[in-house]
Amino acid sequence: METFKILQNYFQQLPIELKLVWVLSAVLTVLAIIFTVYLKFLRNTLREKDVLSVKYQHKYESELLSYLFEESDEGELSNSQNEFIKTIQSKCDNKFKRKIIVETLLKLKNEVSGEIEIAIQNLYLKSNLKEHAYQQLKSKNWCIVANGIKELAQFKVKEAYPEVKKLIKYPKKEVRKEVELYLVSLFHFEGLDFLNNLKINLSEWDQIELLEELKNFDNQEIPDITLWLNSKNDSVVSFSLKLAKIYNKYETVETLLELLNHKNQKIRIQVIDVLTHLQVLDAKEILKNNFKKSSEEEQIAIFKMLENIYEPNDEAFIVENSTHKNFEIQYLALKILKSINEKTFNKLASESNYYNNNVVLKFVQNN
Amino acid sequence: MKETKNIVLAEDNTTLSQLLKFRLQKEGYTTFVAQDGKQALELIELQKPNLILTDIMMPFISGLEVISHVRNKLQLQTPIIVFSAAGQEEMVLKAFNLGATDFMAKPFSPNELIIRIKRILT
Repeated sequence: METFKILQNYFQQLPIELKLVWVLSAVLTVLAIIFTVYLKFLRNTLREKDVLSVKYQHKYESELLSYLFEESDEGELSNSQNEFIKTIQSKCDNKFKRKIIVETLLKLKNEVSGEIEIAIQNLYLKSNLKEHAYQQLKSKNWCIVANGIKELAQFKVKEAYPEVKKLIKYPKKEVRKEVELYLVSLFHFEGLDFLNNLKINLSEWDQIELLEELKNFDNQEIPDITLWLNSKNDSVVSFSLKLAKIYNKYETVETLLELLNHKNQKIRIQVIDVLTHLQVLDAKEILKNNFKKSSEEEQIAIFKMLENIYEPNDEAFIVENSTHKNFEIQYLALKILKSINEKTFNKLASESNYYNNNVVLKFVQNN
Repeated sequence: MKETKNIVLAEDNTTLSQLLKFRLQKEGYTTFVAQDGKQALELIELQKPNLILTDIMMPFISGLEVISHVRNKLQLQTPIIVFSAAGQEEMVLKAFNLGATDFMAKPFSPNELIIRIKRILT
């Protein structure tokens, strides 16, 4: 009691700044103690959850294997198999257990094919797991919605198409990406019809993921992409240009030539690249005629095209641009000229004052 | 009495390893499961198996290192089948260069694996 009074008197005599420091220290100490206790509690809870998760995982793993290898009559499930389905159905309402069950099924489904994969697929459909994924699509939390779509795609639930398609304009791009992957992974090229009316930007990463998914199919017969090439959405045009290049869509050449006048420079450059890949000679004349009106980036793309599909009659055009102010164009022009007509190249090279930059010339001469 | 053949299975996906163990035991093989490359090497040295099944990507020691250890350090000619995921073609080539006998790309059919094992072990 005495000590407390001494401390109280001491505290009261202190200047206001020191009092504040003491109060602040006391508050911070209390907070530190609270957080330490909370962290300890959190760590213990997480550890317990992990232990429980491993325990359930082992349990469901062995039950799943018994289910998969149970001998049963042709087309009929045995009593113990039906029992396992009922067990899953009863655990579905428990979010924690449901997550472990789905993870266990996926862990195996992703690694095996054939009968076992089909059996896991059927198990998913027969239990209430599918219905819960449907419920997730209605969640207000975008993360849960995205997970629901991903799960339906992983278990190839085609019937969810109407519900999933509705989410194509979802505000969060993560959800939209899952919708796109669902459509493509389950409906292949037909799934790309969402591009017909897509107003939202399709990011580069989304495009890469879609192309990667499309590569997995045996049927590589891609439908007509003209509609997407003419889309008002530049990202759709860019994606369909990638499709045209990868799948060698020669039938789109006419549309591609029209796209050389696209308002977006990036698209125009991409078109030149696709036309180069498809070796469209008609494009070369159009581009040469519009060369001076084109931007420097486009001019570089045109010369890259010429490098791939040059002809002897391109010589005059190349000589004209062999002193271009842009290093890359000058280099490409000299390189092509050397290949087309070495005599002209040597003649120009001998005119010492013709080139401002002799380094490029010497490099081309020696290589 | 017919001698049972030993197989060491190195696979970090516990569900898949349990499934394969179950399936191999059903076919009459004695299976030893390792969850990583380190355990696999211990089991190989201890059990001297007739066949090794190994995943390429594993914790601690990869499948490639397991093959290299078996062929170069232990100087064993035990057949080795490697499992690889899609897009690991380069790894598969490396595995063959190191001395792998066969490979199966994931996802694979366990029935097909059994056929290949039987063909190798007879």
